[in-house]
Amino acid sequence: MEQFVIIGLDAANFMLALLLVSLGLVIVFGLMNVINMAHGEFFLLGAYTVVVVQDAGGSFWVAFFAAPLVLAAVGLLVEEIVIRHVYHRFIDTILATWGVSLAIKQLVIVVFGPASQQVVGPFPDPVDILGTVYPSYRLFIMAVSVVVAAGTFLLFYRTKLGLAARGVIANRLMASSLGIDTRRMDRATFAFGAALAGFAGAVMAPLMSVDPQMGVGFLIPAFLSILVGGAGTLLGPLLGTALIAGSNTVVASLWTQVVAQIVVFSLAIVVIRAFPQGLTGRRG
Amino acid sequence: MLTVAGLTAGYQAGSRVLRGLDLEIADGETVALMGRNGMGKTTFLRAVMGHIVVSAGRIALAGRDLVGLRPFEISNLGVGYVPQGREVFKDFTVEENLLLGVLGKRGLPARVPDRIYGYFPILAERRQQRAGTLSGGEQQQLAIARALAGRPRLLLLDEPAEGIQPSIVQAIAETVRAVALEEALTVLLVEQNLDLVMRLAGRCLFIENGRVVGEADPARLRDDGSILHRYLSV
Repeated sequence: MEQFVIIGLDAANFMLALLLVSLGLVIVFGLMNVINMAHGEFFLLGAYTVVVVQDAGGSFWVAFFAAPLVLAAVGLLVEEIVIRHVYHRFIDTILATWGVSLAIKQLVIVVFGPASQQVVGPFPDPVDILGTVYPSYRLFIMAVSVVVAAGTFLLFYRTKLGLAARGVIANRLMASSLGIDTRRMDRATFAFGAALAGFAGAVMAPLMSVDPQMGVGFLIPAFLSILVGGAGTLLGPLLGTALIAGSNTVVASLWTQVVAQIVVFSLAIVVIRAFPQGLTGRRG
Repeated sequence: MLTVAGLTAGYQAGSRVLRGLDLEIADGETVALMGRNGMGKTTFLRAVMGHIVVSAGRIALAGRDLVGLRPFEISNLGVGYVPQGREVFKDFTVEENLLLGVLGKRGLPARVPDRIYGYFPILAERRQQRAGTLSGGEQQQLAIARALAGRPRLLLLDEPAEGIQPSIVQAIAETVRAVALEEALTVLLVEQNLDLVMRLAGRCLFIENGRVVGEADPARLRDDGSILHRYLSV
């Protein structure tokens, strides 16, 4: 019984962490059709925001709120300098953002060095939950992920700003002809995606080794979740992360991490073969 | 008032669809622009809307130069655009489509004005329905309503009768005529449908090879076959 609770909590934790990390990627891919290879580095910069704030003697909570703001600014800058020149050139977006990712990673190595840094998260004491002892910070991450995902959904599907953003995605020229400033929407959407990545980085930092390579570990399952779930709606990645994280955690706890990787990748290949647009993707 | 002088524009450098087009439309006037396919009617509307690069000439609305502005700025100066093929947002509801007509407008409250549903009662009935599920005639009404929601002073209509049954065309003509009167709207209509032109337009201009080459009273179009023969028959 206790073992099932732990596996369940671990699976939920991995899934929600993955969802948190994937959201920014989903926004930028699903709404702007830009594969952002620099997403992992935005995540990285969010984590290093915590390092900088804590080195300066600030608390984790300062970084918690500062990271999305810092990354929104970085997102605006990257959009203005690079991304806006490659919209509608799908393959070029991959190359351009990959270049951005290399530049950011090297910059981080130059400034902070290649070594791993430690940051301290809040809530050090574990809690009792359903008869097992579980780290409270992991529960906190799960709550944050749920709140951020729900907030993002509400923003894009229940507000007028979100409607305008989706209008620009659906028919750019028509939206523009109706008076909507499409450039401003592009900037805002990309900055929002970057802010989500930075926020995820800050939130995940206390659980990870903060080093220049940390962006990669989550990026692959995040991309996989989007491919499996489909990026047309926000429901897609929810389903994708559930499937990827769920199967990974369950298989890893029964056998080993290696078997889990094999199972997850095989599963992903089968799903993508059967549903090329993702599980929630539209046909035709 | 819309003043166009010596307008030269096209889709690529070198290919000129519009070649020194001149026209003038007074406030509150409804003018039809007619001509054979490929003569530059749609291109002209798109040049006014800022969709294509103007290489020479002037487009001015109430004294404000529109050349070089981006579509959203032109829209905010009071130009409402109903494109050929309607281009409604098919995945969005009727209400959301109409909202998109006002969201980008400075100084307008971000909600669908009641008068719009008054002009087009069928859209009020279909408020929560996805635009893609509407009939062609209903989508056309939605596209016009969406443009009107933004309170334009100049309405550009590109072939609103295309592929729509005659009874609906008549209804659309009645509504546009009533709205134009009530809101002191200037209307520029590109159309092949003689019935709609005669019901709506006070003046008819003919376009050939990218310039305005003639003018006629719409009431005389049907009787005087020579006009149609000269400008419209292939």
